[in-house]
Amino acid sequence: MGEVKAKKTNESKANQEEEIPGVITTTTSAIHNFLKKTKAQDLINWGRKNSLWFMTQPMGCCGVEMIATGCAHYDTDRFGIIPRNSPRHADVMIISGYVTKKYLPALKRLWEQMPAPKWVICMGDCSISGGPFYESYSTVQNIDELFPIDVFIPGCPPRPEALIQGFVELQNKIIAKKDRGTEY
Amino acid sequence: MEEMLGSNEMIVHLGPQHPMQPGPFRLNLRLKGETVMDAEVELGFIHKGIEKILENKTYLQGITIVDRICYLVALTNEECFVGCVEKLAGIEVPERAQYIRVIVEELSRLQSHLLGMGEYGEFIGFVSMFMYTIKEREDILTLIDMVTGARVTHTFLKFGGVRDDLPEGFKEKALPVLNNLKRVIDDYEEMFNTDRIYRERAEGVGILTADVAKSLGVSGPALRATGVPFDIRKNEPYLVYKDLDFKVCTDTAGDCAARVRVRLNEMRESIYIIEQCLDRIPGGPIFPVNSPYGRRTPVMRVPAGEVFHRVEDPRGEMGMYMVSDGTDKPHRVKVRGPYFPTLQALPPLIKGTTVADVAAISGSMDGCTSEADR
Amino acid sequence: MDARTIIQSLTGAFSEAISEAEVESPVRIRAYVDGSFAKEVCQYLKDSLQFDHLCSVCGVDYPKRNELEVVYHIASYDHPVVLTLKARLPRDSPEIESIVPVYWNANWYERETYELYGIMFKNHPNLKPLVLPEEMLGEWPLRKDYEGFPNRTARNLV
Repeated sequence: MGEVKAKKTNESKANQEEEIPGVITTTTSAIHNFLKKTKAQDLINWGRKNSLWFMTQPMGCCGVEMIATGCAHYDTDRFGIIPRNSPRHADVMIISGYVTKKYLPALKRLWEQMPAPKWVICMGDCSISGGPFYESYSTVQNIDELFPIDVFIPGCPPRPEALIQGFVELQNKIIAKKDRGTEY
Repeated sequence: MEEMLGSNEMIVHLGPQHPMQPGPFRLNLRLKGETVMDAEVELGFIHKGIEKILENKTYLQGITIVDRICYLVALTNEECFVGCVEKLAGIEVPERAQYIRVIVEELSRLQSHLLGMGEYGEFIGFVSMFMYTIKEREDILTLIDMVTGARVTHTFLKFGGVRDDLPEGFKEKALPVLNNLKRVIDDYEEMFNTDRIYRERAEGVGILTADVAKSLGVSGPALRATGVPFDIRKNEPYLVYKDLDFKVCTDTAGDCAARVRVRLNEMRESIYIIEQCLDRIPGGPIFPVNSPYGRRTPVMRVPAGEVFHRVEDPRGEMGMYMVSDGTDKPHRVKVRGPYFPTLQALPPLIKGTTVADVAAISGSMDGCTSEADR
Repeated sequence: MDARTIIQSLTGAFSEAISEAEVESPVRIRAYVDGSFAKEVCQYLKDSLQFDHLCSVCGVDYPKRNELEVVYHIASYDHPVVLTLKARLPRDSPEIESIVPVYWNANWYERETYELYGIMFKNHPNLKPLVLPEEMLGEWPLRKDYEGFPNRTARNLV
């Protein structure tokens, strides 16, 4: 780990020379690294865990349950889990259905558009293992090799309660600093 | 599309992920200023190859797959698939099972229309509408959940009957929900009729005339809003619909507001149908007695032949064409979804409108991309 | 409109193109059509017999007979009769005239049939893949001899 960090700082020094003169930019992650070792990170994580905004992106049957979870009856707003339409507002991407060969590039792009720290939740059997469509000619299996997935929610489709449970598990992971979305 | 880009023109891609959409598809718009000059739909982002999978599953396994063609109306899809097999094998459905099927399918129509209307409200910036309808939809889903044991995908219909009987006290639990829904539908109607902003965004927008709608192959509420009384439940009755009293809701305006009005009226009719069924439902078996196809037979052979069966989906005419070669798996199943032609009719409809109306028109069609892609 | 009169009218107008016409039930008719006459028959159906609603166009693969079939389901907004019109095509070079000039909504159905079965629709305005990614064109996934479908779940139970 130490070596990698040193390498990173070297690279950033080299890059600094190409920056605009007169503008001081820091690319070092020293403050960040320092914070990780202190209690301040706990405070940051507490904030993060209580504002998990997710991206509404209905891709399949689970998408309907995802919408229902974010709306009036189940009302995830009370946990700070708010549906957002734009990936740039979102912290959590829910893969809510079958990922096809045609949709995978778009999904990767959505993931890149989301600002860090960000997490992925696999909702439903289709995104975990292919579900009923695992043998289809147009779907992609093993999504967990492509995205750093924190929580898997089995079910076809899982009930909204299960999705809320998944969010709670993600919150626990963030508090325990064991989530895969942020690098510790 | 890029080649014919004129001066002052630009291309805007809506999708594959866009709040306007019920599922991923891409709408490429060629704009001149605010006006849509040309539009093109790209789909296939959630194409799962359901038709191929169905050819490789036994008939009983197939029911679970057809559930997932359109996840908003899983029960109607099942009805279509199961109806095909029943026609091929000559299975008679007992009357009680038919009534139960009608009840759950009409409940499913209610929840689909509620979600469709709420989504439409959200697309035109009327987000509280979405919250209202989802709240009522949860009550309907609870009723469906009581009967089928699932909220979205049920696998409830079986060849010749239904999986389970109605639970005890279903009628007593259902009637208050339906009465409440009647009141709420009146509220929605009043809201739609009096809200000035809504009316300006919906009235006179995306007008379809009857001739155009027919030539575009549209069916369902979008067609009935133009004044054509085309409803498979009346034209070609299946189950016990020929004994039930209901009318086909039509409207004459053909615009976005008319489509929503048709859906509201259809919900009233659905409630009326369910009430009739609850009153009239006879006792008796829910599976045919002395049928070679048992309730839990995992393997069944269906006589060779072919059949095209149509049912009325909340979105329009749903049909399946099944070819059987006498083995335990279908030779070919073609799913004719209602949203496929409606989505195809979207580009000519939004040509010449402004960008802001695209979401309104697309939303008023009440889409389900999964069923268009299959 | 009665199913039997429709059959009589159709066979009367196209005696050599229509074959094996039969009435399945009062609301279902089946007939085979010669592939080269498909468009003319559809035009006649639309103009004279009120068949103004195209339900679907699909393909069916019959590898044993070495044939592909294009199946048109044509219905009407006025009467409940559905006509299943089928055209037999050779499996090596399936080609048929497009019916988009007659039924506008055949456009996507024909594109879909083309990419899934490899059936060429002549004079189609925009024959390109619809639901499959471009790189899968040429695999014809819904043909029975398609290799890319492992089919490990359902054993042959009977």
